[in-house]
Amino acid sequence: MKIWKQRAIAALLVLVCLVSTGCTEIGLSPPQEAMTSVSSVEYVPDFSGEPYVFIGNSKPDFENTTTNSYETYAPLDELGRCGTAEACVGIDLMPTEERGSIGSVKPSGWQSAKYDCVDGKYLYNRCHLIGYQLSGENANKQNLITGTRYMNVEGMLPFENLVADYVKETENHVMYRVTPHFVGQELVARGVIMEALSVEDAGEGVCFSVYVYNCQPGVAIDYATGESRLDGEASGGGEAVSYVLNTSSKKFHDPACSNAASISKGNRQEWTGVREDLVSQGYSPCGQCKP
Amino acid sequence: MILAVCIDDRNGMLFNGRRQSQDRVLREDLVREAGGGPLWMNAYSARQFDPPPEGLRTAEDFLEQAGPGEVCFLETEDPAAWADRAEGLIVYRWNRKYPAGLYCTIDLSAWKLERREEFAGSSHEKITKEVYKR
Repeated sequence: MKIWKQRAIAALLVLVCLVSTGCTEIGLSPPQEAMTSVSSVEYVPDFSGEPYVFIGNSKPDFENTTTNSYETYAPLDELGRCGTAEACVGIDLMPTEERGSIGSVKPSGWQSAKYDCVDGKYLYNRCHLIGYQLSGENANKQNLITGTRYMNVEGMLPFENLVADYVKETENHVMYRVTPHFVGQELVARGVIMEALSVEDAGEGVCFSVYVYNCQPGVAIDYATGESRLDGEASGGGEAVSYVLNTSSKKFHDPACSNAASISKGNRQEWTGVREDLVSQGYSPCGQCKP
Repeated sequence: MILAVCIDDRNGMLFNGRRQSQDRVLREDLVREAGGGPLWMNAYSARQFDPPPEGLRTAEDFLEQAGPGEVCFLETEDPAAWADRAEGLIVYRWNRKYPAGLYCTIDLSAWKLERREEFAGSSHEKITKEVYKR
């Protein structure tokens, strides 16, 4: 199939929709920000400033649920890559002591690379599929992938926090699955699919299915090997454009966007510069005007 | 009315149509803030309060119904749209980062911080409460 046809089909399947509940329909008022939702992983668009997109209307796909805690990890494949990690997270699965060392594990595609534009300098973290705060797993090579600092902290951690705090508060269980997305023979995952569903309340507390990008704003990654370099555009080669910033929500807007018009005076800032610089400062584009 | 909200490190409130987090110690504190007077919220929020405390008032249009000085616990709507009608704000900060689709966009610099307290929640290490007046 010609590339333009593939892209046209993909575009049709990329539904920019208001967040809707994929599990129990709770019937809440719509949110401010439109979120991107795609039908499946093959239609995930290129990273555009948001650390994740919804998959399948954010409805996770668990065939069975249980209130008995467990964790399972797929064996490494012939290239030494992780597969799916799945758990039923309960309070009894969560750690009771500080995290141990995981430095002995070298996940597929592991490289040591440092950049000034990366929080903490190091591009890659040994990234838990099922976070330590959920399962207490330390140096389990079937649970650690080469993940960017951005994916680890901005992408996956907020979801792990949400699940961990829900379980601690309610003592309910959450079905939880993380699947790394490798393309062909590549050693570094392009992203991870994170799915979660709270069991006792049938998803009223926790329900999501998202694709989290394994990328780092300002850095170009060769996913085949894990090698990396500074992104040329991020180092000053891009074109200067005017945006309106919401310094509270850390969104940026086209100046003509209706969302920009509603930003309160204290949170509004006019800004002109290279888009990638904004992204590297932690800003993400408005889901409505898509600047 | 007094608007009460819970927000994360990025002023998020709701993700995928669900509250980002909850904490029973925070709920007890909120009931104390209401001081035995009406504590307004919608049915979604009220389901957390079991058994319901004295003074709990549930209505989908509670922001319309609430009178002066009455506390309104708002989880599913940006409180900025109601800020002009409010005499005060109670902002609970989770001190955590969660995913979010709905944000609180109130410009807090336009309000006077009256008091700030920190306390341990039942499932959150540190919750910060900020009380603002006009």
